[in-house]
Amino acid sequence: MIPAPAPSLALWKKHKGTLTPWLFLLPGLLMFAIYVLIPIVQSIWISFHEWDGLGDKAWIGLGNYIELLDDDTFYTSLKNNFLWLVLYLLAIPGGLAVALFLNQNVMGIRLYKSLFFFPFVISQVVVGLMFTWFYAPDFGLFSALIEKLTGQQIAILADERFVTYGIIVAGLWPQTAYCMILYLTGLNNINPEQVEAARMDGAKGLKLLWHVILPQLAPASFIALVVTVIGSLRSFDLVSIMTAGGPYGSSQILSYFMYEQALSEYGYRMGYGAAIAVVLFLIMMVFITLFIVRMLSQERNS
Amino acid sequence: MADVTLRGIRKQYGNVTVVKDLDLEVKDGEFCVFVGPSGCGKSTLLRMIAGLEEITAGALSIGGQDMTRVGPSERGVAMVFQSYALYPHMSVAENIGFGLKMTGHPKAEVAARTDKAAKMLQLEPLLKRKPGQLSGGQRQRVAIGRAIVRDPEVFLFDEPLSNLDAALRVQMRAELSGLHQELKATMIYVTHDQVEAMTMADKIVVLSSGHIEQVGSPLELYHRPANLFVAGFIGSPKMNFLKVDVRVEGEAALVTLPGGSRLSLPTEGKPISDGEMTLGIRPEHTDLITGGDAQVQASVKLAEHLGSETIFFVTLADGSEITVKADGLATQKAGDVLALGLSAKACHLFDTDGRAVINGDLTR
Repeated sequence: MIPAPAPSLALWKKHKGTLTPWLFLLPGLLMFAIYVLIPIVQSIWISFHEWDGLGDKAWIGLGNYIELLDDDTFYTSLKNNFLWLVLYLLAIPGGLAVALFLNQNVMGIRLYKSLFFFPFVISQVVVGLMFTWFYAPDFGLFSALIEKLTGQQIAILADERFVTYGIIVAGLWPQTAYCMILYLTGLNNINPEQVEAARMDGAKGLKLLWHVILPQLAPASFIALVVTVIGSLRSFDLVSIMTAGGPYGSSQILSYFMYEQALSEYGYRMGYGAAIAVVLFLIMMVFITLFIVRMLSQERNS
Repeated sequence: MADVTLRGIRKQYGNVTVVKDLDLEVKDGEFCVFVGPSGCGKSTLLRMIAGLEEITAGALSIGGQDMTRVGPSERGVAMVFQSYALYPHMSVAENIGFGLKMTGHPKAEVAARTDKAAKMLQLEPLLKRKPGQLSGGQRQRVAIGRAIVRDPEVFLFDEPLSNLDAALRVQMRAELSGLHQELKATMIYVTHDQVEAMTMADKIVVLSSGHIEQVGSPLELYHRPANLFVAGFIGSPKMNFLKVDVRVEGEAALVTLPGGSRLSLPTEGKPISDGEMTLGIRPEHTDLITGGDAQVQASVKLAEHLGSETIFFVTLADGSEITVKADGLATQKAGDVLALGLSAKACHLFDTDGRAVINGDLTR
């Protein structure tokens, strides 16, 4: 006689198919909940309070958001974030151009590729420092160049008109390298016979690029767009190291504004900082949703 | 007129010469096949004619015009690639019409010519599909359509059938031959498969390590190979080679076969000196019956009964191994002893340099 299996084992056998995927998902879901989902909810909760991080929280409803609407720095940050978003996109054509240039077989090309990729590997803080020196009046290379050309010195990082552009250029350096790597991988996957076929078909130069190469780089372009947009919105290190939002808050962006309000020597206004973070989160969600919708529709089509 | 003429064509990569000062003439409307083992330079040669590979030295003319330094799209040639090289993001119609679009033809003309090419290749129902949704044979046809639509004077094919399965390959072979009949254009076709070469070519060019071994019609190469390389390359199963001793007596070269029997080959007045030579005879020309001009004893090592024919791998008295192709009804098995009859008319004799000194031509 065969002994009847224990009831719990029978239950497991019956639902094995449905339970197994969830068991595999469990560790990831736990991490995601602890480090992403719960903090998001907490931030939103905190944004409705007046709180110094230590004492008692006082519920003020939408008070922080109303104050935000009256805050000039908030609008400066929004404007700068928009500038970052738009100008950062230059990294995509820039990366493509460098990738096309480097996609050839000559002596030592691997070395050149590594050198072009280098800025992405080094820390953003180092990039920021290098550009600070690059722009520094009196001894910076860039200042020297400007002085030669115009006869006068411009202190980029101390000038309200140029400061944000100066930081964005510093950010474009590593971001272009990132896009370049994405495109180099994409170019690697193009069948060389296809390029030859296009040459036989009479496609040359820009026509070849537009009709044959670029359409096949579409997946790389999409990833480059995603990482660049998200990268531009979450930029923080460069502003922090190069200007700390100055002069007079003119290079302020949302992420640094949040840090300044909530966690720096300017005060510990956790509620207000959380409100800024929520706004930034909502802006990002717009883009992330667009990306995910596109990705899902692509998956369905293939 | 679109004859293709190569004069002293050479290709060098650094110090390595891949194609060595090659002369060749392909007549207008001819189906010419470049055949040779991999690495013999046949693809490089084709790509030089296409304009995809620069010509290091020499001159190329197509239809009487010098094309040595002309760009690939201005030579009046179209090429079908081994991987088909279809543009994956374009529909079949766009793929076919792309060349015309690039050369600035009006939309209506592009559409009309695309339709015509599609009709010719029975691609009409597929025009809206992407290459990814096509079978291997269909992709192949699209690649050919892309070549046809440009109405070139010369078609170039780079191993176009090597990615197809055996059955489809036979079918496409026939289709390509039919296409050649219909278009009457000059076609140059590269392959490593001698069966493809034999079945389709008007003219075969056998290449090895960058130079031409022999040029001729399929049957010419089969019956009168100029050297050991061609003799071994053309024909399947391979021609048998035996090391033999040759003595010339008057108008006859007396060959001592393994086992001691003698075979007398007519020299036809050619100056031949005595000594060791290589005798070549095709598996299908060795008879199992005790006829012919000389006999040798052989013991069967392995017999492959294929139904339509039987392939025997046999060992001769001196230990050399040869292949014999016999009737499908042959009953001999491994271990049996056979008597093979060799006919003088089917034997080839090669000197120590590998050059053919006597070609026993069965067609005469």
